[in-house]
Amino acid sequence: MTLQQSALPTTMAAARPASRRDKSRLYQEMSMLAPAVILLTIFLIVPFLLSFWTAMTNQPLVPRPTPVRFVGFNNFLRILRDDLFWTSLWNVSRFTFWILPVQCGLAFATALLLHQKLPFRNFFRGLFFLPAITSMVVVCVIWGTLFQYPTGPLNQVIGFVSGGSIRPIDWLGDPDWAMFSIVLLSAWQAYGFQMIVYLAGLQGIPDELYDAARIDGANALQRFWHVTMPGLRPTHVFVLVITTIQAFKLYTQVAILTQGGPKSSTETVVHYMVRSGFEEQKLGHASAVSVILFLIVLVIALLQRQLLRRYDV
Amino acid sequence: MSDLALSTARVEVKRARSAIGSLRIVQTACILVIALVIVSPLLMLFVASLKDDRFQILADMGSFRAFWVSNPTLSNFAEVGNFSGQLAFGRYLMNSLIILASTVGFGLIVNSMAGFVLAWGSLRGRALILSLVIALYVIPQESIIMPLVIMVSRAGMTDTFTVQIVPWVASPLYIFLFYQFFAQLPKELFEAAEIDGASVFRIYRSIFLPLSLPALATVSILMGIEAWNQYLWPILVTQTDYARPIAVAIATFFGQDSIYWDRAMAASVLMMIPILALYLAFQRWFVSSFVGSAVKG
Repeated sequence: MTLQQSALPTTMAAARPASRRDKSRLYQEMSMLAPAVILLTIFLIVPFLLSFWTAMTNQPLVPRPTPVRFVGFNNFLRILRDDLFWTSLWNVSRFTFWILPVQCGLAFATALLLHQKLPFRNFFRGLFFLPAITSMVVVCVIWGTLFQYPTGPLNQVIGFVSGGSIRPIDWLGDPDWAMFSIVLLSAWQAYGFQMIVYLAGLQGIPDELYDAARIDGANALQRFWHVTMPGLRPTHVFVLVITTIQAFKLYTQVAILTQGGPKSSTETVVHYMVRSGFEEQKLGHASAVSVILFLIVLVIALLQRQLLRRYDV
Repeated sequence: MSDLALSTARVEVKRARSAIGSLRIVQTACILVIALVIVSPLLMLFVASLKDDRFQILADMGSFRAFWVSNPTLSNFAEVGNFSGQLAFGRYLMNSLIILASTVGFGLIVNSMAGFVLAWGSLRGRALILSLVIALYVIPQESIIMPLVIMVSRAGMTDTFTVQIVPWVASPLYIFLFYQFFAQLPKELFEAAEIDGASVFRIYRSIFLPLSLPALATVSILMGIEAWNQYLWPILVTQTDYARPIAVAIATFFGQDSIYWDRAMAASVLMMIPILALYLAFQRWFVSSFVGSAVKG
């Protein structure tokens, strides 16, 4: 009996006949894999499967004497008829629409700048990553201060720059502005990650391609358009997909700064889920939202695979 | 090359140089503007945490005094650094540190062992396990959190450290990162050790692990940031001070009606210090290795 060869890196032992040593080796491998497998099963696979089951019941948060009933797709139907759910979905879509150009654009621009041989560029790279390691709670304390109405720092700066012609903005209190304010602080916090990913993408483009383009007489703009951009295609796909997925999971900022308000203008899918689960104590309903959230993330992830395959990477 | 051609070439080079020079000034100016936007909010936080007067902090916000403190004091830190009472941020900080250290410590061991076996083991079906792990990566924490809360509360685990550590130790992403790192190391390393009679665990422990500093650093930073910044999970599973992490404590404190800005700022700075230290310690390995794995992953 021989152990099966696979496409993964194989070792000489794999081809040798099984012996006592191979058996003990197998046990050892299994016990090295066991902690991860057990933990993932209990804390990821089981709750994941449970969420599908719970979504089809009227499970309350606190156990009640009446037995939990199977309600089929009722929770899903109720969600689809709930205006607040559609508002939250619309809000995260608006958030995504803003955060993609603001955050990814800024990250891309900064990466392009830092890819040049500028003085202190390693210092700046470390500096620009600082917000990314700052906890969202701390970010909320900082930006909550900056957003103060009517005399907060941001309003002062705007007033100063515009010579007082722009009236102070109620950043978090005005339904028209609240989501955009959340976009600003989110982009500030997370853009360092994208910048690093873009820098890696830029470093991955071989210098020979630029040299060849130069010999062919391409100017800087042409080199950017015909060498840099095609070389960054997988990076663009990765960054856009990760940012979109994160946008759909938007929660902490909103929970701390606006609680979904004013007038539900910053209600998000996860905030809606947590509220229905823990304030209204309808766990079945909340689980159904979590299943919908998973499906959304799954679709985005599959889209990424398709795009990457098309670009042949 | 003739002299004429040479001199025109020189002029061209000179012209190109001055163009590059002015371009560089524009680029540097852009970088400095971005640096201002990125750094000034953080600087404001640090400066404000050293001011004693909470009314003055807000009054200073509108001017350059937001970035300057004439007589710095650590009194805010002394106020919030308690281990009991209302402002027990010292305790919350300790709680967070315990959670951080345990999650990262166990996480490095569990995920690297799994990644190693998936890369070099001879188990049947490890290709299957690997693709399952990659598939699991798609599941967001937010969509398993509802049933998970029920599970841990039925098990009587709420309000403990365990409940904030154990569920997040094993992670598909980090198993995959370790797998990827180990798999690209040369086959000869494994074979030579095996011929010498070393066991799989021994090969992992004494040969592959010492070589994987970049992977360990990357996973430490990513896991550390994640554990440190957990917010949704701890608010759902902690009710008392006992195991409350600092993120939840600051958010609660910040949510009160009359905000003591000086204290909120000092607590925030307290929260930044450990993760900043972790980042600075591992940054050197982090950037280069995170980078490669991120795009492919």
